[in-house]
Amino acid sequence: MILRFEGVSYRYPGVESWALNGVDLTLRPGESALIAGSSGSGKSTLCRACIGLVPHFHHGEWIGKVFVDGLDTSQHPVHELFRHAGLVFQNTDAQLFNQTVESELTYGLESLGLSHDEIEQRLNWASQLAELGDLMDRPPHLLSGGEKQRVALGSIIALQPRLLLLDEPFTHLDPQGTEELRRILRMMKSEGMALILVEHRLHEIIQDVGQIIVLHQGKIAAKGPPDQVLAREVSDYGLNLPPLIRLFREMGLKGRPLSVEDAIKELKNQDLPTPFSARLLKEGKKASISFPGTSPPVVEAEDICFSYRGLPVLQDIHFNLLRGESVALVGRNGAGKTTLIKHLNGLLRPHSGRLKILGQETLRRQVSELSRHVGFVWQNPNDQLFQPTVREEVLTGPKALGSYDSSWCEELFDRFGLVSLLERSPFTLSEGQKKRVAFAAALAVKPELVVLDEPTAGQDELFRRELAKFIVELRREERTVLLVTHDLEFAAEHANRWLVLTEGRIIADGLPEAVMADSKAMTRAGLRSTQRYQLIQALEKMKENKA
Amino acid sequence: MRPSVLDPRSKLVMVFVVAIPLMIFHRWTSLTASLVILMAVVLLLRLGLPWLNFLRGLGFAVLTFFVIAWLAFDFLTAFVSALRLLAIGTAFFLFFQTTPPEALSNALLKMGVPYPFAFVLSASMQFVPVLVRRLGNIRDAQRARGIPIEGGLSLLIHLPALAGPLLIQAFKFADELAEAMEARGFGIPGRRFRHEPRFRWMDWIVVIISVAVLVMAFWKPFR
Repeated sequence: MILRFEGVSYRYPGVESWALNGVDLTLRPGESALIAGSSGSGKSTLCRACIGLVPHFHHGEWIGKVFVDGLDTSQHPVHELFRHAGLVFQNTDAQLFNQTVESELTYGLESLGLSHDEIEQRLNWASQLAELGDLMDRPPHLLSGGEKQRVALGSIIALQPRLLLLDEPFTHLDPQGTEELRRILRMMKSEGMALILVEHRLHEIIQDVGQIIVLHQGKIAAKGPPDQVLAREVSDYGLNLPPLIRLFREMGLKGRPLSVEDAIKELKNQDLPTPFSARLLKEGKKASISFPGTSPPVVEAEDICFSYRGLPVLQDIHFNLLRGESVALVGRNGAGKTTLIKHLNGLLRPHSGRLKILGQETLRRQVSELSRHVGFVWQNPNDQLFQPTVREEVLTGPKALGSYDSSWCEELFDRFGLVSLLERSPFTLSEGQKKRVAFAAALAVKPELVVLDEPTAGQDELFRRELAKFIVELRREERTVLLVTHDLEFAAEHANRWLVLTEGRIIADGLPEAVMADSKAMTRAGLRSTQRYQLIQALEKMKENKA
Repeated sequence: MRPSVLDPRSKLVMVFVVAIPLMIFHRWTSLTASLVILMAVVLLLRLGLPWLNFLRGLGFAVLTFFVIAWLAFDFLTAFVSALRLLAIGTAFFLFFQTTPPEALSNALLKMGVPYPFAFVLSASMQFVPVLVRRLGNIRDAQRARGIPIEGGLSLLIHLPALAGPLLIQAFKFADELAEAMEARGFGIPGRRFRHEPRFRWMDWIVVIISVAVLVMAFWKPFR
């Protein structure tokens, strides 16, 4: 047994509620488990308990016992446990504290007091496994999100722990980075390491794990093989169900397919491919949000070019965003998405080309002037919170821009469920509540265009549902929504058009289904079609073969 | 970063030996000559561009120092003070540009500095660029809400909008960092370093020359 929880309850100092409440679980060598649940359900605390940070580092009230590799964590300090269990934290920036990737990998080995030869051997092993060969001399803080994730993983696997834990490792990864990480984790598993992963996007990893543990308010609400757990009503626990399972449920079908192959097999078993295919194709045509495409443009970009330190970041960017449409900007990390959206409110200016917002050139307009028309909801709401109360936080923008409309702001407080929080400090809110404050703050100036930067990253199903509702409301008010996201499943459901950016160029612009049909563009941009689309394609192929 | 062949300990002796006379020189000619020598080293090591970037930060302090000293005393005192600050700053710039933080912390350990202090010094140098990037994100987020943080005086007026989120994030970051370090065995006894600093004959020569320079610096004609 590599891990055993025996009636573990824990609460942080000064907090009344239990972060873990009577948790019992076991994990054997080579086994893998996915920990799922809504934000604040105790997932990260459980990971910390596995490596002794809870209770040794955080203190607080502790009941029960955790055994890691046979060691009772309450009797052994963290520095005696870290060679047995290693945790890759959510925030890779705070975890990479050395000058180079190489020293990052050797830090833990030096702590163990290993011999020079042993350090060299493990360094080579871990760098090969985490595919870090070319990065060894680079400073970690200058790497991309995917590379940082691999370095963080490499620094832990170099210790050769018997239990490896990863807290939301896919949150900031693009599809290609996700695939690379999955490949590495499969290799870890084959090396005999036990794996525990915390993740909201179940479909990214569910096929590689042996069991799911669903946490709810610190308790284990469900536990078992993925298909058994997902057969139960678990979506209320904040689980983002894999897309094909959701599709089957929506269509009233039996079965819980995790992959397209599973879905086809299930349909064949039920002798349903033909009727299902007809229904799905009919639904598929309706899948994209309908948009007439006749409204006036809010954004007109013509041949925008932008360079940074002499290197081209955006090249000949040409697109329009129309009033009332919802557009997804997709592409791999480093493709230029953030650079492009920063042009929309003048945070960056094009070096050549023209950009018009509501028919007016942006070049000579102040950021504050453009902010009246373009609202931003950034990925990290903590970047903007500074006022003593939620009310003042939301009203900061309208007051700075002189566009305060009390009845509109009251409506926003109501819409985003902030009425009971208005006098609270924004710093005391949960991350989901902070996101809602950031949403309300962006909309408080009544912008015509709302830019949502990675809105689903690290968010549970409950927030995704709220977000979907907000987007519908924005479109009903004829506001334009620009979603910048890696979450193509969400983008396919909530955007009527996709813009695909790669190496600073827009290489595809069209309906989600049309973009996904362009396999060349998808490959170039490192994107993977949604599972629903893949299933439609597979069914069509079957139909053709039959004919 | 341009790693040098010298041990950080000999360079540490050297930089203090340079800094001490720079603090006691009161002739503008001696300070100018020192600055010229330091600049020659900067150019020799091809650090001209990083030095100009460094000057963008230090320049403001030098200018402020100059104006205050001119108002409080006279032009010559202000000029000497500004030169002194610039020369000392350049000496330390050379030290940090040629000494990786880890090499510095390893060297400090060899000098008997406790591990936690030495590591915190190198880790804090490592995190300055991370926090600067976060400050950039915060500034963009606030400007996107209509807060006119365009630079200059507006930075001071809207300081809470920048400092508030940055401080909160820095505290959270420090907590996360401490956790991550703990989980990789920070500060446990029996640590063995992959690259042990070695004090070689070249380092001894540097120390001897440095001490000789220091003695000469106290010779009256230079002062």
